[in-house]
Amino acid sequence: MCGHCCNSDLSLLTEVFNDMNGNGDNLISVLQKAQDIYGYLPTDVLYEIAEKTGNSPAKVMGVATFYTQFRLKKVGKYLILLCKGTACHVNGADSIEKAICEELKIQDGDTTEDGLFSLKTVACLGCCSLSPVMMINEDTYGSLTPAKTVEILREIRGREAK
Amino acid sequence: MSDIIKLIIDGKEITASSGDSILIAAEKNGIEIPNLCYLKEMSPYGACGMCVVEAEGSPKLLRACSAKAADGMVINTQGDRALKARKIALELLMGDHQGDCIGPCSLNCPAHTDCQKYVAEIANGDMEEAVRTIKEVISLPASIGRVCPHPCETACRRQHVEEPISIAYLKAFAADEVLKNGKHILPETAKETGKSVGIIGGGPAGLSAAFKLIQKGHKVTIYDKMPKMGGMLRYGIPEYRLPKAVLDTEIEEIRSLGVEMINGCTLGKDITLSDIRNKHDAVLVANGAWKSSSIRCPGENLSGVFGGIDFLRAASLGEKPEIGQKTAIVGGGNTAMDACRTAVRLGAEEVSIIYRRTRDEMPAEDIEIEEAMEEGVIFRFLTNPAEIIGENGKVKAAKLQVMKLGEPDEKGRRSPVPVEGEFITLELDSIIIAAGQKNDPAGFEELETTKRGTILADERTFTTSIPGVFAAGDTTNDGASIAIKAIAEANEAAKFIDAYLDGIEIPYKKPVLSERSITDDMFTEYEKHPRIKMPQRAPEDRRNDFTEINLGFNKKEAIEEAKRCLSCGCHDYGHCKLIKYADEYCTDCKRLAGEYHKGFKEEKLEVIFRDQHKCILCGLCVRTCEEIARQGILGLVGRGFDTVIKPEFRNIDIRSICANCKKCAEVCPTGALKIIK
Amino acid sequence: MRIVIGEGSCGIAAGAGKVHTKLSSYLVNSDIEIGIAGCIGMCFLEPIVDIYDGKKLLKRLVKVKEEDTENIAVSLRNNDFEALKKYEISTEDSVFLEKQTRIALRRCGLIDPESIDAYTSDGGYSALKKALTSMSPEEVIEEIKISGLAGRGGAGFPTWFKWNAARNSEGTEKYLICNADEGDPGAFMDRAVIESDPHALIEGMLIGAYAIGAKNAFVYVRAEYPLAIIRLQKAINEAMEKGFLGNNILGTSFSCFLKIKAGAGAFVCGEETALIESLEGKRGMPRLKPPFPAEKGYENKPSNINNVETFANVAWIIENGGKAFSSMGTENSKGTKVFALTGKIKRGGLVEIPMGLTLREVIYDIGGGIRDDKEFKAVQLGGPSGGCIPKELLDTVIDYKALNATGAIMGSGGMVVMDEGTCMVNMARFFLDFTTKESCGKCVHCRIGTKRMFEILTRITEGNGKDGDIELLEELCDGIRSGALCGLGQTAPNPVLTTIKYFRHEYEAHINEKKCPAGECAALRTYHINEEKCKGCTLCAKKCPVNAISGKVKEAHIIDITKCIKCGQCKEVCRFDAVEIK
Repeated sequence: MCGHCCNSDLSLLTEVFNDMNGNGDNLISVLQKAQDIYGYLPTDVLYEIAEKTGNSPAKVMGVATFYTQFRLKKVGKYLILLCKGTACHVNGADSIEKAICEELKIQDGDTTEDGLFSLKTVACLGCCSLSPVMMINEDTYGSLTPAKTVEILREIRGREAK
Repeated sequence: MSDIIKLIIDGKEITASSGDSILIAAEKNGIEIPNLCYLKEMSPYGACGMCVVEAEGSPKLLRACSAKAADGMVINTQGDRALKARKIALELLMGDHQGDCIGPCSLNCPAHTDCQKYVAEIANGDMEEAVRTIKEVISLPASIGRVCPHPCETACRRQHVEEPISIAYLKAFAADEVLKNGKHILPETAKETGKSVGIIGGGPAGLSAAFKLIQKGHKVTIYDKMPKMGGMLRYGIPEYRLPKAVLDTEIEEIRSLGVEMINGCTLGKDITLSDIRNKHDAVLVANGAWKSSSIRCPGENLSGVFGGIDFLRAASLGEKPEIGQKTAIVGGGNTAMDACRTAVRLGAEEVSIIYRRTRDEMPAEDIEIEEAMEEGVIFRFLTNPAEIIGENGKVKAAKLQVMKLGEPDEKGRRSPVPVEGEFITLELDSIIIAAGQKNDPAGFEELETTKRGTILADERTFTTSIPGVFAAGDTTNDGASIAIKAIAEANEAAKFIDAYLDGIEIPYKKPVLSERSITDDMFTEYEKHPRIKMPQRAPEDRRNDFTEINLGFNKKEAIEEAKRCLSCGCHDYGHCKLIKYADEYCTDCKRLAGEYHKGFKEEKLEVIFRDQHKCILCGLCVRTCEEIARQGILGLVGRGFDTVIKPEFRNIDIRSICANCKKCAEVCPTGALKIIK
Repeated sequence: MRIVIGEGSCGIAAGAGKVHTKLSSYLVNSDIEIGIAGCIGMCFLEPIVDIYDGKKLLKRLVKVKEEDTENIAVSLRNNDFEALKKYEISTEDSVFLEKQTRIALRRCGLIDPESIDAYTSDGGYSALKKALTSMSPEEVIEEIKISGLAGRGGAGFPTWFKWNAARNSEGTEKYLICNADEGDPGAFMDRAVIESDPHALIEGMLIGAYAIGAKNAFVYVRAEYPLAIIRLQKAINEAMEKGFLGNNILGTSFSCFLKIKAGAGAFVCGEETALIESLEGKRGMPRLKPPFPAEKGYENKPSNINNVETFANVAWIIENGGKAFSSMGTENSKGTKVFALTGKIKRGGLVEIPMGLTLREVIYDIGGGIRDDKEFKAVQLGGPSGGCIPKELLDTVIDYKALNATGAIMGSGGMVVMDEGTCMVNMARFFLDFTTKESCGKCVHCRIGTKRMFEILTRITEGNGKDGDIELLEELCDGIRSGALCGLGQTAPNPVLTTIKYFRHEYEAHINEKKCPAGECAALRTYHINEEKCKGCTLCAKKCPVNAISGKVKEAHIIDITKCIKCGQCKEVCRFDAVEIK
């Protein structure tokens, strides 16, 4: 329908739209729920949301690209959120970022070729006293050093290889 | 509800309705507060920060678009803080704005001919309009189009795709085409002012000034020492490049406007500067540079040694100078090329160019060098005359010092240095020294001169040391240059002469312009479409006579060539609010430049062409599309510095959602949106 | 006996969840109850396990590791408290809590945040009851006025004034909004309150809603706080069940509904008009003021927005009276303020103190001074809108006016301590990097201006600073401050201005001498090996990616600085601390 490369199962959205009408969810909530379903926001999903929420596609795209939480591209199985807040900065977040980038051979915002890891730096995870901190999916890792970081990544990779 | 309130803006007591914003209140009372993102029909947005004003008692600046006017308010729209904030806003915007207000062609033309405009008119097949455009600046388009070394093409951006537009030839084509049809495009002349101007010299400068001044209603008389008008165009440029019939026609057009032209009148002999000064209300000295420079080489006084322009003048007067079978021309400029090719046409069997550097350093135009080579001229690079050897007072040979290029200097230029002890002897019947030209100060002794002997003229106003006497062109300051430079100076001088005659002064401010910096990926989007070759006579044919070598474009070719133009100059220049304010508030619009926001061009909205490089994110198009046109096609995408505006819709027919109202383009304060249909 | 494990986000990140699981398994079939609490704020001691006898705290075990749990469990079963001694909090560290005065954080870390009964049995919702049954909305506002409570989100605007404006605004449909979009990098007290004592927020909001006459309220929580959202939602559900929320609350005519809206990642949404746009499901771009939210806010209806910490104080004030609150603090700043003390500090965590203490008291007396006994250099207050305060001003008292005078601000309470190894130019660059990325892009001054400042700061830290750059920065700061549309832009220059004000010499060293005095800016570093310390282990030479290090085994090595790319790997691998930065 949208003519784009993606071909998402739009029926998964039915419940989201039902909820929306029930709760008076705004566009952001709808997008959040859609992202929870698909892992990211495929273009056809955005168009579907535009139609069902009565917003223009331009507006939906505007909202989806304004907030850092929304992703228009697929992310890796493990999403690394690296905190770059003040406390983490003071305690060496830059060296952690360097270690991750070197270990995974990706830059901020990228996904590894094997689709295992994505890296995203974030403003602050609010775990300042454990700085530097990163989150990998639901798990938080604090008091990082470059060596410790690499160890964590290798451990996950090792686990996945099995 | 709408009570009348009183407030003071810029010291003026005004009334407004309660509920009015400060901006509206000011506007109602004829006070303009600058703004870039405001439109009366929509609610204020607050992005541009241009409308900030100072309010008494408020430590912060107020945005006049949204702050309500209140009874008793004292507003200053011109306070230092407000002006500073606006200046910073504009400098920030300009430093992130990628666009050319004026195309590089026009900017690089000394006379700022509106190349883009007439090229577009040619592309539209409207040759008369094109000539009209050209004649705003150049009174002799057919002639200049043939001879101009075209700095416009040097700057042309199309060369980054493949080759520059053939701007000069297009100009000649349009002019020829109109003349061929017996049409004469002539400007209106104003009512006679009763004032008169005497112009000394009937070359490109003198004729251009005459053309400009006569339009202003002044009487104009040109005094020229040669038998006919045209100056260097006639006596310095060979017939095979510029047929004199073409020049004659164009000079006649100027004469037909009422310019009086006196030939055979030599200053200091037939008339003096003060005679002319006394006869006229103002004088323009534009007598050119007619003396060949010496190269300070032993033997320069021998018979058979000619000055480059002296030789060309003699040839054009039909004097057939005696150059014999073997001749050599010293120099690497355009005059040297004209001289060697004229020598070929006069029947010399062996014609050489003696040039002390290599081809890469030659100042002559490439095409001229190529054509000379085609016509059999021998180029002796890295040689320099050490001595002209004579026999019985006549040239017999030249002893040439062999040169090599030295180490590059700071600018990367490699100067030639002699290879010690290495010489070549070249048998010659004559030698032509085309190593530059000078002005002749005879008759201008009253005027202050520069160290190099040229007439000292103010670079902006062209005034000389004598009130009412102006000077322009090759005879002034830095000396000889190209015709279009002389024209540019003459046009400017005419402006100041006119003002002088009216008794007014022209204040000067260099306009602030936006210029795009070039990046490698800027031209990848264009399809390659090579420049159309000017059809020419075959070298073996053309070297035998003085008939014009270029055959000219046909109309189809001209239009096709003109269509290659990238239209770099902004369509909105003249209406653009951004540049208007920048010109008002800034002096250096690139002071706060840095990385540019992501730009792109697209035509997704079929009727509107969008250039995101020029966008200042005022949001007017997005809001207009949503609030006024009720379409909501445009939207902001991304956040912060890299926010862009994009239309977003499915792959469905654009016409089914865009009402084609074009309102977005109408409200755009810059040239980011352009209506294309 | 009951043991309680502190399970706020950072406690969990430090391993509290695993400790919990292990302890549970070791304590199966014992009469020892296991419960959770939120965050007590002693982040440097996480995970924390408290042992209670009824309401009495018997022992506080800190930095409990998974491997300690078996031992602890055995000791607990045996009632052998002596064996627990080694896990117990030290007297020195206890000072951290003892020196605080807690109002907003009064129940944090002490009660189970996932149980409304825990809250009510500790006196929760009695303030709401008092307000609804014995006070008029005007009286509530008056009490808040007496308390002197000011907005804890950063601006410090009197709370009663906002409430009063919203109350007096025309219209029957009004909204109360809680700003929990705690975006300042370095501040996390709002998260702690929601995770640890969500009902305190709900109760404060309900009182506020009653005061202004709002039937609907929102909590706008940033998306990075999933646990906070879960606990708050649970609390809302329980409050609905118990009749503290919904129609006819506590049998009165007052009805109020509360909803969570999760933010989606945009710092600018902490700005109230941007927050409203975001609540409406739009791009979070600030609106022009006027109109202010009190007149036209959410859905163009009168709206009042307060921060989490502000609301967390409300119930206490109603319960104890405005005077009790205003008796604490200084002339112009009343009550207490929570700070998130982080950075190069010995004891980092949440600190709630009465206004009027000095920075030195907080950093040294409570925080224990600088970690690794390094030299204090500066403390950053107020995040990207705030500034860096130098050593000379450590005796500045904490109140709105005094902090503003330094060029910094109170802000939401981020307090990041820096030592001699922190480069102040790089610090300014860090904040401008942040604001550039977080700028919504609407107004020119912020969108392009912060970008330019960031570029200039970047070139300075990379050794490409030019003469006149400091002045250019100052000029830009001035222009952005006066021209930007919202608070984010207007305050974005503060980190630059304060670092220039107090650490100009560092800027000058970068620009003129191409040196980074703190040794932090990589481009301006030179690495060299201390011959005395080097043992010739060759580890650095092997690690060096560009073979810039040479030397024989067991002899001192040398770095060829012409080859060195300043990656710092040699320093990292050296076990003898022989690689030095100059």
